[in-house]
Amino acid sequence: MDHNRINHGRQILGRVRRDEFIGRTAELERLVSHARQSNGQKRSGEAYGLLILLAPLAGVSELLRQTFDSLFSRREEVVPIYFALPQAETTAVSAAIEFLNTFLLQYIAYRRDEPTLCRASLTLNDLVKLAPAADVVWIEELIESYNRQRFGEDDRELVRFCLTAPDRVPSGDVRPFVMFDAVQLANYSDSSIPFAIEIVKALKSGGNPFVLAGLRREVLDAVTRAGCDSDALAVMRLEQLGDEDARNLITATARRQHVSITDETRDLLVQQLEGSPFFITSILQAAGEKRLALDSYLACERLYVDELMGGRLNRYFSSVLEHIASEPETRASVIALLCEATPEGKHTIHFESWRRRLKLGSAAVEQLVRLLHIQELINCDGDTIDITGGSMLWQDYLKSRFRLDALREPRAIVVADVMADALKRAPQTIAHHYRRAASLPLRELLGKFNSQLVPRCLFDFAEFAAVYKGVPAEEAAAALDADTSLVRLPQVFHTASGVSLSLALRPFGEESSVVAHAFSGGVYTNQNETVWLVARVESKLEANAALVEKWLDTLAGVARKSGLIRTQIWLIANEGFSPEANDLLRSRNAFGSSRQQFDVLTDRLSTGERQQSDATNEFQLIFPMGADNEMLAASAVEQVARRVNFTPEAINQIKTAVVEACINASEHSLSPDRKIYQRFQVENDRLSITISSRGILPFNFAGNSQGEEETTADESQRSDDRRGWGLKLIQTLMDEVEFERVDEGTSLRMTKYLRQSS
Amino acid sequence: MGESVKSNVRSHCVGTTAIVYASDYLNKLTGERIERECKKQLDSGARALVIDFSDTELVNSIGISILLGIIDIAEKGGALVVFSDVNSETIQLFEMLGLTRHVLLAANEQEALSNLSTNPPQSQAIGH
Repeated sequence: MDHNRINHGRQILGRVRRDEFIGRTAELERLVSHARQSNGQKRSGEAYGLLILLAPLAGVSELLRQTFDSLFSRREEVVPIYFALPQAETTAVSAAIEFLNTFLLQYIAYRRDEPTLCRASLTLNDLVKLAPAADVVWIEELIESYNRQRFGEDDRELVRFCLTAPDRVPSGDVRPFVMFDAVQLANYSDSSIPFAIEIVKALKSGGNPFVLAGLRREVLDAVTRAGCDSDALAVMRLEQLGDEDARNLITATARRQHVSITDETRDLLVQQLEGSPFFITSILQAAGEKRLALDSYLACERLYVDELMGGRLNRYFSSVLEHIASEPETRASVIALLCEATPEGKHTIHFESWRRRLKLGSAAVEQLVRLLHIQELINCDGDTIDITGGSMLWQDYLKSRFRLDALREPRAIVVADVMADALKRAPQTIAHHYRRAASLPLRELLGKFNSQLVPRCLFDFAEFAAVYKGVPAEEAAAALDADTSLVRLPQVFHTASGVSLSLALRPFGEESSVVAHAFSGGVYTNQNETVWLVARVESKLEANAALVEKWLDTLAGVARKSGLIRTQIWLIANEGFSPEANDLLRSRNAFGSSRQQFDVLTDRLSTGERQQSDATNEFQLIFPMGADNEMLAASAVEQVARRVNFTPEAINQIKTAVVEACINASEHSLSPDRKIYQRFQVENDRLSITISSRGILPFNFAGNSQGEEETTADESQRSDDRRGWGLKLIQTLMDEVEFERVDEGTSLRMTKYLRQSS
Repeated sequence: MGESVKSNVRSHCVGTTAIVYASDYLNKLTGERIERECKKQLDSGARALVIDFSDTELVNSIGISILLGIIDIAEKGGALVVFSDVNSETIQLFEMLGLTRHVLLAANEQEALSNLSTNPPQSQAIGH
């Protein structure tokens, strides 16, 4: 039995049930484990601390509350204490006193095993009365001391006294485990008491294990200023939720709030809300309260704009901004500074320039800039301020505030514009996500090179195709195993997007190229240092010489301008390369591989199991893409068409149309779920079939059927452009063909009339 | 390296004519196998290709594009291509995409061989 597994115990401080707490399971287990194991690892005079470094809006409070509940339910020697710093509008002294009260309340609740006490509002005198006999003495002494401190002159001493209260627990059968939720730490700007430093010092100097969670820039700064060695503390980094966790959170929260969502809107919300638990719950709570269904992009964006202009999102950003700049005039200037620079394309501004514009003293500007920096709304390195920080939501908020407050534009216009922008951006956001998800995992593969030996032909398309094209995968794999012409890959130690090296690569797409720094032969010398320039060449057919030459010239130019001496260019094209392109690659000592070669290489370099595209056992007219599954679709439609008494010729036409529609969906959509959704509709005189897939709406589709090639073999026989006949075939074979409007992907509806074909 | 690898396509030769059998569904994978087999036969000296579609129920557009590639290769090598035993639905498809202008169609393998004997490859006139 694993004693670290989370106990599904009582819900005490947690806002959601344990089974509804999504996305931080590993972190929760680590925290519980940390609390329980700290006992054995405690050193004399040194606390065993864990810092949780939080990205803004990544969310940590519920994680700590769930940890509290789990530890509370265990009834072990660890007494969980959870304290969240109060919101702003308070002082360090008040916050410290509140900590003392919370500590005693939760300690006594645990000792009495009365969880409801945790939420009670009790005075210190009440608490003394409730204290178990074993604890009465030290608690009474603590409160007496507190009362003396409280009426003294030294506020800082009082703060220290309160924060070190857990150290007064006599060593014995229990020990407190303090979890300090300091996300609001940035709000405590009382210069007379450096509260952040006092918290770190109190936790670090005590003899008990602890957790300090807060915004990463703030916490690291506090640890450094307190003179603590952060290396001596364990660290947990919390970022926004990953896509899968965010999807699950949206699904669960929507269910709880009785909000209807679709797969498409769920994925949009994941991307648009940037995986932030706070944004996600805010939007869904708002939808629940307003009884709105989020079943289309329009519904999502309407609610988003409502919330941004006057709801939860607005209140959140407004409070952040008001804390950073409490004076309205200063706030307006900050908004202007953050907004005005962007249109000029200038993203960095000198500190002095800010000081002049804000008309404030250096200390005030420093404090303001520091707070913006801590919230990661800007990046400041001392002299220059980079204003490109913050989420897309923050940017939307900022722009709308600027237009409303500074430019005095009518609210109706601003709302309409924000809404229009959000709607226009939605398909782009999701398309960008799908492109990223569908792009070749170049960097991952390069990272696995690690001096391994692989067949040389995997980097030479002509050589590979001559032997393996059309060969079943198992036979090819066996033959490759026996291949004795091998090449040793370099050891890659750093990879980055090609765009980060040169903007000349941007037009090809952010995900299309990678630069990989490596050592060949596993020897770290100048002579062995090499840089691989790897690019994915977009081509439906075998990439031709002109396209390859363009890529080779571009990459060679990038290498030259970047001062790269030893380089290796590797191009990857889905269908490989034409003979002329192959000759060109060889003449330039460049490698060229098809997608098939890339996949084979991935298989050979991967130690783990190969990712399968998706479950293949789904029926009910939902088919996984690929693997000839279009034939399953064709067989299904054949059965339906037979029942409606279509002629064999008509049935064959319908089957062919369905096959082509499935192939088009597979080839064009960059589908995230790799599934084809098929719907049959039988009416008196017709059979309608709708083939849908999620993903990107291809340019040539949806109302632009003329964009697809209208050629026949006669016209195009000798051109390379022989693909793309699918839609033309469908239109010829079926009586009616139309694209239905969907938020993403394609939905092709085809109809065949019985009377015309019988 | 790997020349012994089989393409899993049934074929045989009658003189300098290679008869290659297409499978029940002609798509990218099976098309490439046929393409590979046809190339192999041409490299081995075949002067004409008969592609037999007697087992073929369905052909997709990718399969058709590969067939065009085979026709290209054969023409460059001075070889003729005949499609035999093609079902009516597939013929309709080939006609729709203009494929039938570039090959001879035969009812069966025998007719294909007979046609080839009366239209020797040197003429390079079939279908044009």
